[in-house]
Amino acid sequence: MITLKLQVNGQPYHTLVDPGDTLLDALRLKLGLTGTKKGCNVGDCGACTVLVDGEPMNSCLLLAAEMEGKEITTIEGLAENGRLSAMQRAFVEEGGIQCGFCTPGTVISATALIRKNPDPTDEEIKTALSGNLCRCTGYGGIMRAVRRYKEYAGDGDAPPKVDHGTRPPLSDPRDGGVGVPIPRVDSADKVTGRAIYTADIQLPNMIHGKILGSPYAHAVVKKVDASKARALPGVLCVLTGDDVTDTKYGVSPARYDEDVLAKIGGKVRHVGDEVAAVAAIDEKTAEQALELIEVQYEELPAVFDPQSAMAEGAPLLHDRYTKNVGTHVKQNFGDIEQGFAESFQVREETFTGNSIYQSPLEPHASISTWQHDGSLLLYSSTQVPHYVQYMMAHVLHIPLGRIRVIRPTVGGGFGGKAATTPLDILSALLSRATGRPVKMVYSRSEMFHYGRGRHKQHMKMKLGLDKDGVIKAFQSEIHLDGGAYTSFGVATAYYAGSMMPTLYHIPNYRYDGFRVMTNKPACGAMRGHGVPQPRFAFECLLSMMADDMGIDPITIRKRNAMTPKTRTVNDLEIDSCEFRATLDAVEKDSGWKEKYGLLPEGRGIGIGCGGFVSGAGYSIYRGQVQLSHEKGREHFQKKSIFPHSNAVVKVTEDGEAAVLMIGAAEIGQGSDTVLSQMCAQSLGIPVSKLRMRSEDSDISPIDLGAYSSRITLMGGHAVSRAGVDVVNKMRPYAARLLDCTEEEVEVGGGKVFVRGDEERSAPWAEAARKYFNDKGPLVGTGCYKPPDGLGGDYKGATVGTSPAYSFGSSVCELHVDMGTGKVDIDRFTDSHDCGTPINPQAVHGQVEGAIVMGASETLMEDVQFDERGRILNPDLHGYLIMTIKDAPEIFSGIVESYEPQGPFGAKEIGEGSTLPVLGSVAHAIANATGVWIKDLPITPEKILKVLKGKK
Amino acid sequence: MYIPDFELHRPTTLDQAGALLQQYGLDARLLAGGTDLLVDLKTGRVVADHVVSLHKIDGLRGLSMDGGTLRIGALTTINQLNASPLLDGAFSALRDATTRMAAHQIRNAATVGGNIASAVPCADLPPLLITMKAEVLLWSAGGERSVPLEAFFLGPRQTVMKEGEVLIAVQVPEPPEGFGSAYSRLALRNGNGIAVAAVAAGLTVKDGIIGEARIVLGAVAPIPLYAEEAGKLLAGRAPDTAAFAEAAVAAEKAAEPISDVRGSKGYRRDVVGVLTRRALEGALERAGEVSQ
Repeated sequence: MITLKLQVNGQPYHTLVDPGDTLLDALRLKLGLTGTKKGCNVGDCGACTVLVDGEPMNSCLLLAAEMEGKEITTIEGLAENGRLSAMQRAFVEEGGIQCGFCTPGTVISATALIRKNPDPTDEEIKTALSGNLCRCTGYGGIMRAVRRYKEYAGDGDAPPKVDHGTRPPLSDPRDGGVGVPIPRVDSADKVTGRAIYTADIQLPNMIHGKILGSPYAHAVVKKVDASKARALPGVLCVLTGDDVTDTKYGVSPARYDEDVLAKIGGKVRHVGDEVAAVAAIDEKTAEQALELIEVQYEELPAVFDPQSAMAEGAPLLHDRYTKNVGTHVKQNFGDIEQGFAESFQVREETFTGNSIYQSPLEPHASISTWQHDGSLLLYSSTQVPHYVQYMMAHVLHIPLGRIRVIRPTVGGGFGGKAATTPLDILSALLSRATGRPVKMVYSRSEMFHYGRGRHKQHMKMKLGLDKDGVIKAFQSEIHLDGGAYTSFGVATAYYAGSMMPTLYHIPNYRYDGFRVMTNKPACGAMRGHGVPQPRFAFECLLSMMADDMGIDPITIRKRNAMTPKTRTVNDLEIDSCEFRATLDAVEKDSGWKEKYGLLPEGRGIGIGCGGFVSGAGYSIYRGQVQLSHEKGREHFQKKSIFPHSNAVVKVTEDGEAAVLMIGAAEIGQGSDTVLSQMCAQSLGIPVSKLRMRSEDSDISPIDLGAYSSRITLMGGHAVSRAGVDVVNKMRPYAARLLDCTEEEVEVGGGKVFVRGDEERSAPWAEAARKYFNDKGPLVGTGCYKPPDGLGGDYKGATVGTSPAYSFGSSVCELHVDMGTGKVDIDRFTDSHDCGTPINPQAVHGQVEGAIVMGASETLMEDVQFDERGRILNPDLHGYLIMTIKDAPEIFSGIVESYEPQGPFGAKEIGEGSTLPVLGSVAHAIANATGVWIKDLPITPEKILKVLKGKK
Repeated sequence: MYIPDFELHRPTTLDQAGALLQQYGLDARLLAGGTDLLVDLKTGRVVADHVVSLHKIDGLRGLSMDGGTLRIGALTTINQLNASPLLDGAFSALRDATTRMAAHQIRNAATVGGNIASAVPCADLPPLLITMKAEVLLWSAGGERSVPLEAFFLGPRQTVMKEGEVLIAVQVPEPPEGFGSAYSRLALRNGNGIAVAAVAAGLTVKDGIIGEARIVLGAVAPIPLYAEEAGKLLAGRAPDTAAFAEAAVAAEKAAEPISDVRGSKGYRRDVVGVLTRRALEGALERAGEVSQ
């Protein structure tokens, strides 16, 4: 131990450190300065950036013991006496923040830049921030914040503010209601390091857990000897498969196939599959203990792709899945043979996707602590607090009501945090065994080995068009590489087929899907769940055929574009649809007609389209909210049993504020903000008077969570209905104050007033106080159930159902280095139909993030495995996500649209905006080089190979 | 991902550092910028009972000119090197590397000495420095010796440094009249990307004829590879497309790439040719600048 004096944010700190302690760990663990984040721990992500003598550096790569005499500035040191610095305000106002996990490091880097160079060029900004990865914003808001810094510093001319296109607001824009591009409600916390993520929480007497993963892709666990680990000083508990429940868990109720820990005599099915868990006084000791656990394995033959997994005689991962096929979808709508027979032109192509990992900046983390009443308190970095509660009840065999889930600030999910994790379960078991709070956090490598990324899909597609390019028939056969467990896979396999007929009119459609088990980490639901790769393939095929037939690729899309009020061939109900308007917009805004087919070699332009559900029509489990062991399989009813989204609004006793409670998971996408806006709109008060409580299941009623792009629509209905409920309760009291009838009472701008005569008004708070004086607490509730009867009557008809669908088009412009194959994306022009944008800035933030994520996965992302199933790139320098230097300029537009099924006419944007991207990039590359590359990612190497072949 | 316990030594003189290295031998590791060492210690690739930090030793930082020779102290960070006005003239090609390698924060920590002594095949400074005929200065208790950089590397993470030696500086001689060099590099992304392949070229051109040419390949061999034959092909010839194309083919042949997550052997070899041409063209342009 070394006694250390550190000078941090102008103050001296004395602390004890080990020689190997990094500055990052010293700041977080010894000084309690948790604003500095640990995202990768090896200098790849920049979330730990601090200033050392004014220079931004990765605190994970500095020894604390070497920092004496240095002046260290962390994110906590930027605001002065509670007043945000100009750079912090710029990030807040310009939309430079989403999940917030990269924000402290990025703001620190930007601050260092501006102190040295008050007038940076774009190139200088990008150089300064190239070490700060962001997975949410697409860097658009970050660039705007730094470019416009001067505006906030009051120091010279800044470029003009980007117009996010404020919609005609429903009320005074200063109140921040529906349609107003207000900054995120959590942005001040995120920009100062005050936002608390799970790994930031320190509970008294807390200990730390780690999991031992299998080194083999497929093996029988013969024996586990933990005696040496148990003997290590500081180790409090070691659990093996025999110490834990036999109850299996998972996501799809019919396919719970995961063991909490591999049973002795049972199997491990991928490298990293959980074998044992340790709790120790600190994480370092827990890591050391893992190395002392001796496991005897009997290695088994393994399979790593669907083709070999389905081959005759291939080893089976699970006895129950014949030929390793967990799910086989067989759907046939219309008359496919007839459709092809009637086609003027038919083309068949095969496409291959890639293994994509969500790579949120915040690693998964959980803390469990059992209460004296025998209930469990679980802090979890999750998108789905309710499903975690449900699954924990299932695994722990206790009623759901005995489990309290707190979802602290979440640093991004994208589907990677949409299921109950081994950290949730094992922290609870270790906590129960030791009687102490247990924290568990994944390392970056462990995140990759836990998996749940996008399925790699092998796609064979056949499209038939008439002589005008109108679709007559479409057939798709897809093998999804599922990994070792089902997870979301059943739904993924259905989604890969069900969404195809929602974008274009397809009269005859056949889909065969096989979700196949392989000895790799399980795949799950990632942004656009199952659809981005088939959508990529379809868009490529359609553009290929457009070129074959001499029809402009945008024109061919307009001829087939979905129209409003349509029931698709697979029985999905489309209500609002302005897809064609998005095509018109990108055609015009990108200058398509002057460019397509007219660019020199090496430069390309391409189009891609897509859309998504605004919330799944059915929940993952179909019965009541209760412990699943206690009920039999219920007969499927074509309706929701319980409301998917539920909200409570409680007005404070003085009437000056309201608290909105809803368990909707804010994970960085902005749900707290848009829900606040909708609720405030309904209440008739400024959004600044509303406080959000969405993090605690004891306080906030159930919302199913942040998946299937459901919160704006479903949560939005619940919160606005709760607001209306409050207003209705206030009516008699307001009427008395205003001397009018109850029906004449209107609310808005923090006032109650008489309809048609705004002069006759009284303070909203006064009416609320009158209510309280008379009736006690002023509380309103609201809930939302999707409409009954959604979908058809065939097997799997529920997947793809939704109250509403989004639509969008993207044009990508890029250039290709014809010598190396390297692609640089210059510009994206995007247009979306998301119904009414509740917050245009948030919409554009989603679009920008989706474009950069989508372009990144098209060009450079792929989890790679060796011949024994070990991941070759479980880190952020081998698995590449785009940096600020790779991100294109993005022009994002929103078309006029109103969705009758949505709150205030709104529908989704978060996932649908991903879908056009992959195809548009692939098309632009084909346009630039003259060759189509049909397997993802489209690396420079693949491009150069086909270019050489062409010559 | 925690660093196992070790003893940290912070000598204030080279003599003390040398004594520690003598005492602990292979159990000791030198710490400069730490951007490699700390990662290796965390991931367990390197195990060390003793870490000897060089940070308290004076005189290892900064750039100076001695006659025409540029001396770069081993602890100079990449960003300090990049910002030095001494790079504005004949040595400006070094900025081809300093602006493209890693990311800003890493460049604030990583040192010139570390980038060389780590002997990672994809390191960005060595190829250019070799074209410039740089030498590294190795200190030991017995005295100093200088080694031409092209003879410094033995294999991945292996160099000619002996136990007890410390790399204290890089010396780059003043280039002759008509010299230009350039670095061409391919990474899979524009920010913070490790080189898939890289080529540095240095040319001396007089009266339209190439005097000497040096071509050095990065990330495509176990060491930064001085492709001597490729350079020799160019001597005495006019710097034209045909000559550069021949050199590019020779450079491709000289490369000894491997396949890994960033690219296959074959792709790397293909790219070496393209990058060689580009580096030569860049070097030629700079040679023109200097001779004018």
